[in-house]
Amino acid sequence: MSISLSRLTKRYGPNVVVDDVNVEIPEGSLTAILGPSGSGKSTLLKLIAGLEVPDEGRVIIEGDDVTDVDPRYRDIGFCFQHYAPFRHMNVSKNIGFGLRVRKQPKDVIEVKVRELLELVKLEDKANSYPAQLSGGERQRMALARALAIEPRVLLLDEPFGALDAIVRTELRHFVKELHRQIKVTTILVTHDQDEAMEVADQLLIMHAGKIEQAGEPTELYERPATEFVHSFLGPTTLFKGVAVRPHDLELVSPSVGSIEGVVTSIMELGFEIQVTITLSDGSTPWVQMSRNEFRALGVTTGSPVSVRERVAQ
Amino acid sequence: MKHTSRKWSLRVIVIGYLALLVGLPVGYLFIKAFSHGLGAFWSEVTKPNAVAALKLSAEVALIAVPVNTVIGIGAALLLAKKKFFGSRALTLAFDIPVAVSPIIIGVALILAYSRIGWFGAWLSKNGITILFSPVGIVMATMAVSLPYVLRSVLPVLIEVGKDQEQAARTLGAGAFRTFWQITLPAIRWGVLYGVTLTIARTLGEFGAVLVVSGDITGKTQTLPIYIFAVWDQSYDTIGAFAGALVLASISIVALIILSSLRARERKLHVDLA
Repeated sequence: MSISLSRLTKRYGPNVVVDDVNVEIPEGSLTAILGPSGSGKSTLLKLIAGLEVPDEGRVIIEGDDVTDVDPRYRDIGFCFQHYAPFRHMNVSKNIGFGLRVRKQPKDVIEVKVRELLELVKLEDKANSYPAQLSGGERQRMALARALAIEPRVLLLDEPFGALDAIVRTELRHFVKELHRQIKVTTILVTHDQDEAMEVADQLLIMHAGKIEQAGEPTELYERPATEFVHSFLGPTTLFKGVAVRPHDLELVSPSVGSIEGVVTSIMELGFEIQVTITLSDGSTPWVQMSRNEFRALGVTTGSPVSVRERVAQ
Repeated sequence: MKHTSRKWSLRVIVIGYLALLVGLPVGYLFIKAFSHGLGAFWSEVTKPNAVAALKLSAEVALIAVPVNTVIGIGAALLLAKKKFFGSRALTLAFDIPVAVSPIIIGVALILAYSRIGWFGAWLSKNGITILFSPVGIVMATMAVSLPYVLRSVLPVLIEVGKDQEQAARTLGAGAFRTFWQITLPAIRWGVLYGVTLTIARTLGEFGAVLVVSGDITGKTQTLPIYIFAVWDQSYDTIGAFAGALVLASISIVALIILSSLRARERKLHVDLA
């Protein structure tokens, strides 16, 4: 359901961790709060959950002001960074915990837990203990446990942070697919731009406790409102004293009305090639291109080249 | 080759050290206690004064151990949550009774609660006796076994962190349920270890209890004091050995139960994470 934060502020002593945040999170969206470490993004998530108490401002979930409501009664599904499994309970008991708290009848809990096990693909791990699960499995168990109480909002704190690269990618797809299936308003916190761009349909860029910009990923990437968003959301390089995307530059033969220079280094990253040029004015922009483009150009270190901005097609 | 020989010499040193300090004396105690046969051993431990001492020790433990367990867990919960003004002083206060010689605890209790102390004077005016009675023994015992549960539980509690408790809270659990179903199971080994140490210290305390008990045979003698009395006053070596054997056995059995419980739990893979 929709969440609205108004004038939300949290201080730890003299440090303002969350600074006057005003934002609307649309119902049914999958929103990523993206920012460098220490930007206050995890604290913002805990403020929404009620695990931290704001110094100022209000938290409103689908029209209810829940600022003074204990997290027990907020109906929020929260997944912790390290999953916080109940280690002495098996997977089924973990998932059913919230339902037992709500005093649901035994048979209802049993059916519900079985459905959730199926949803997160842990049917064969029902009787395993958290210690016997892999990182990805623990995360899925934590998701099922949070979803069991049919939360109004699902909050995920760095959900893929502690996983290796392959499991990470798998779980990203899994979360996206899960959200498509159950449509619960979901907010996840991450410091990884690629992750945020891939998974989320809404982005909140946070920096030094403030929201720098909010909107759809493509919109933010193409029309960053601040220098910070521009540099944080993708690679940038300085050309004619202005920060531009390296894939918005191209190399051409010298003297076609562009600044002349010489290729000083070439980095081959599989499909992507990064070519650094030292220009006659002393600046060193780098240009991002595909392997095919690079082959067609036929440049090597030391080749004289010119750089210009790509003409939009 | 070199590696194995070093490993073996290390083992020999450790085992030899333990044998000298623990194995040999305790083993000898077992042999000596039964040197006049099972019947002599039995008649020693069933002497009225021995039984009275064992009973008093058991009663003291039955009060001191649960009280110190509850207080230890409570203090650990308080200290693990957040640093507050005076939290370090509080931790220190818990440690004082085991950091100083037990005799000091005994003497300090006498000072505070005898008629020369202002509090003791008020108590005696109101007809309450603490010294030379089981009440004083319980107090001295609780003092010297105060920090064991706190010291065993606090590091576990800090290591477990508050994530599980917070997760339970977001799932709707209240403080009571969270403690019994989440926190306590998570720290149970720390608690059991602390309780075992508390039991051992409670049954074994000699110095502090001796000072406050008045050493009245059959009335205020706990098992360790009884053992010392029969050894020191009546040169009754069999009686002392028999009593010592009973005392040692209780603690050893407690330790064995704890470690076997733990081994069984490990087998179930519950605690491996």
